[in-house]
Amino acid sequence: MGWESWFISTFSRALAYGTPLLLGTLGEIYAERSGVLNLGIEGMMIMGAYSAFVTAYTTGNPWLGVLVAGAVGGAFSIIHAFATITLKANQVVSGLALTMLGIGLAGVLGRKWVGLPLFSSLHKVTIPGLSAIPIIGPGFFKGQTLLVYLTMLLVPIMWYILFHTRIGITIRAVGEDPATADSLGVNVTRVRYLCVIVGGVLAGVAGAYLSLSYRPAWTEGMTGGMGWIVIALTIFAFWNPLYGLLGSYLFAALYHLSYRLQTWVSPELLKAMPYAFAIIILVIVSRGTLHKRMGAPAALTLPYTRGEQ
Amino acid sequence: MHAPSWLCIERRPLPSGRTILTVSVIAIVAAFVVAGIFFALFGVPPIEAYGTILRGALGSWHGFAETLRRAIPLLLIGVGLTVAFRALFWNIGADGQLLLGTAAATWVALFSGLHGPIVIPAMFVAGFIAGALWGLIPAVLKAKLGINDVITTLMMNYIAMYLIMWLIHGPWKGPTMRGFAYTDKFPPAAQIPTIAGTHVHWPTLVLGLVLAVAAYVLVNRTKMGFEIRVVGENPHAARFAGISQLKTTLVVMLISGGLAGLAGVGEVAGVHMRLLDPNQISMGYGYTAIIVAWLARKNPLAVIITALFFGILMAGGDVIKVSLQLPFQLIDVFNGLIMFFLIGSELLMHYKISLRRR
Amino acid sequence: MKRKALLIAVLAMVLVGGLMATAAEYVPGTPLKVGFIYVGPVGDYGWSHAHDVARQILVNEFPWLTTVYVESVPEGDAGPTIDKLVNDEHCNVILTTSFGFMDGTDEAALKYPDVIFAHCSGFKREPNLATYMADFYQIYYLNGLMAGALTKTGKVAYVGAFPIPEVKRHLDAFAIGVREANPNAEIHVRWIEDWFNPAAAKEATEALIAEGCDAFAFTEDSPTVVQVAGESGLISFAHYSPMYKFSPEYCVSGELVHWETIYEDFLQKVYDGVYTAHNLQNVDYWWLLEQGAVEMGAETGMPINPAYVDKLKAAVVDHPTLGKISAYDLVETRLNQMGDPGITFDPFQGPIYDRKGNLQVPEGMWMSVDSLITMEWAVQGVVGPWPGEP
Repeated sequence: MGWESWFISTFSRALAYGTPLLLGTLGEIYAERSGVLNLGIEGMMIMGAYSAFVTAYTTGNPWLGVLVAGAVGGAFSIIHAFATITLKANQVVSGLALTMLGIGLAGVLGRKWVGLPLFSSLHKVTIPGLSAIPIIGPGFFKGQTLLVYLTMLLVPIMWYILFHTRIGITIRAVGEDPATADSLGVNVTRVRYLCVIVGGVLAGVAGAYLSLSYRPAWTEGMTGGMGWIVIALTIFAFWNPLYGLLGSYLFAALYHLSYRLQTWVSPELLKAMPYAFAIIILVIVSRGTLHKRMGAPAALTLPYTRGEQ
Repeated sequence: MHAPSWLCIERRPLPSGRTILTVSVIAIVAAFVVAGIFFALFGVPPIEAYGTILRGALGSWHGFAETLRRAIPLLLIGVGLTVAFRALFWNIGADGQLLLGTAAATWVALFSGLHGPIVIPAMFVAGFIAGALWGLIPAVLKAKLGINDVITTLMMNYIAMYLIMWLIHGPWKGPTMRGFAYTDKFPPAAQIPTIAGTHVHWPTLVLGLVLAVAAYVLVNRTKMGFEIRVVGENPHAARFAGISQLKTTLVVMLISGGLAGLAGVGEVAGVHMRLLDPNQISMGYGYTAIIVAWLARKNPLAVIITALFFGILMAGGDVIKVSLQLPFQLIDVFNGLIMFFLIGSELLMHYKISLRRR
Repeated sequence: MKRKALLIAVLAMVLVGGLMATAAEYVPGTPLKVGFIYVGPVGDYGWSHAHDVARQILVNEFPWLTTVYVESVPEGDAGPTIDKLVNDEHCNVILTTSFGFMDGTDEAALKYPDVIFAHCSGFKREPNLATYMADFYQIYYLNGLMAGALTKTGKVAYVGAFPIPEVKRHLDAFAIGVREANPNAEIHVRWIEDWFNPAAAKEATEALIAEGCDAFAFTEDSPTVVQVAGESGLISFAHYSPMYKFSPEYCVSGELVHWETIYEDFLQKVYDGVYTAHNLQNVDYWWLLEQGAVEMGAETGMPINPAYVDKLKAAVVDHPTLGKISAYDLVETRLNQMGDPGITFDPFQGPIYDRKGNLQVPEGMWMSVDSLITMEWAVQGVVGPWPGEP
């Protein structure tokens, strides 16, 4: 098959596998921009996947499943927010504990849902007109679910909010220097709570995508470490939604390619490719002056208490 | 946080050991109560569940041996992590460093041509070096290029995993294994001795205890330790004092990576006796050890206790699998709950809450 | 006199105590307790699930049987888990259901000489340790016949787990079937390096679809390949568990396992005293179609998806020895030849050349069980990566 089919399939798979990554990354970007590290994404994703599947299976409505998953992810993230913002607990440990809890809970609850096929999954659409464009058409606009495009739309919206609105400035201020923000009248706690919840909701929706579209079924552990990739992609994106899109689709494309290229390179080494690439790209990028502008929010992982330095 | 007027919240500067212990115990008991609800939902009276867990993990010699077996890698990695965390280096890559340690040990055992009593010490040395080098790469990237350590250590975990997979499927696949992806069994000289009748590879345990003491001494009584602590507590002051952040970062990652490598040697030469699928070896020890290190409040000596505690939890999980025929995922729920209550209790530890007298 | 009596009493107690300390050997005809150790969760809808389905059938069938099972046991934990099952649960028989448990089971067998052990898919045996396996290669061959007859692009796909002899054997059998029905077809391979990884299976399948493959077989513990192929309107062959319901329109057939046939035989013999903890050194089950340990189909009792019966009858194969025969009849013929007592056909009967041109099986010869379980080579027609190719 010619190089066109390579392009088409790579684009198409990049969108499909990259969407849950992107959803998770967008959410985590907001959480971390406000200063809260959320390592519990994996737990929120899998609870989202489980609740979406159960909802869609019992009601026959996959979009309801998406909503429920978002709610569940958000609810879980409130636990993390409460622990780290109100109780000022260590963010790393809280996130890890949440992941453990989420995976375990989903596993226990999901036991009787294994092996059931879902027929009310998210439908695949083909965008008329656009899908007729050679190569780009079938690559981007054919055979994806609506959720993929909704996610793509989210990116410029979330980018704009973060960098060009008052809300965004507030969020970033809270993440860089909460004391100053507080003194200027910003409710640091409220901003952080909201951002963490946004992160949780999007993680839940990412999980819903997995169990409703990517592979319409429930199996234990089906997120397979995707939450950790999201954590890495957030950093890789330098906490910017636009680069988050780039990073997610790039990673997904490499993941797909690692299967197509198997004929020429050892499968095990190919599987390491996306991860090695991430480091290499970081090295290349950081040798320039770019990294000075794109560091982590200064107050990331540090709980804030008024009156305390 | 705005406190109601009838509640007085003062910060406790340094909670006493007694406070820490009391609050921790209360937290664990609270977690047990909540988790008990889950057990009850599955038809097992909570008391019976806990009795079985405690009996299984502590009540018999065999049970306690299992607890110890689980605690060994947590001890080694946890000690290393306390050192790294002191310098604010977030080493999420202990799993990967452990795996490199297993590869080094395997090379010594099967391919180095060494024989006799030198093999086991050689494995530990090689494992330490391999783990340390694997940890060095993210350290250099952070120190020289400012690349975030969370992402690099995480990525290196995956790369290590696929490296091991490539080895066991390719160049190191054992001729006696009939095509299955395992290396040959380690020769007896390369098998770490275990306490009779159990799977506790005691030399690794002893090593862990010794290194816990050594790490404590290093951090608290040496110049290097002082520098590490300053870098961790006040990076600005460190720079003014002329302490090299680069050197400190490298040293802590060498230690942390090396200790994880030692844990790998213990697992592969004390438990499995061959190199096998990485997921069967590392079992998330690297992540659990983060919690072990945190619980120990960055004190290497306290890791001995917290590693034992987690050993009990993990061994307890096995017990409920077998004896109570409960879904094994329940133990993750249980552990998660315990973690949360302990986390929540942090507040009580650092803040003294009392009623304000009018 | 009193002292002597005391001494005898003490000796007697020590003797009785010593006898009781060893795990008591099973007495035939008395209630039997069996412990199952699974490497994965019973909810994996794959390997471990199938063993547990068998276990439940056994419990309903044998009133004298009680069972206990432990799931998701890591390979390094085999020893300690067996310790618990023997000492705390007092199991008479221990069944370990994964190759990786081999060392642990072997050591335990030596440690507990009065307990009966059976290890699945391994090759180490002891007087109290038997081995057993139900293999699919014949079924894969039959699936291959159908795939070869139904493919329109001439490219058939196989998503493989790990490049080990077991999977290679199944792959080669599948390929032999494909080429027998369609001598010019290609069998494209991709490896996911995991037994259970739905995301990897999905991407591998998509990669193969992108290459033009239109018929799919696989080794992976989830219905992902069936679903993904079905979504693109491509046919597939289920693996291990009944996956027809995941794609009723496109799942043509598959491989099903019935571990209970082996377990029934083994446990009944233990109950009757035929098998004891002393005579298992040469007990090795290598059960296939003939014994009913495996079945062709994507659903129990449905060897071929009814929607494809007509298509298979219409597909005519120009067969070297059987002449012009419909694919449907070819599959029937082979099924009978392999399923009836006194097997008269084997997919691996010579002459067979590997894809490098070497003669692996001479004319008129069949492959021995030993060579079957250690095979590493790829047959002609296989396209793609083949780690460990000799």
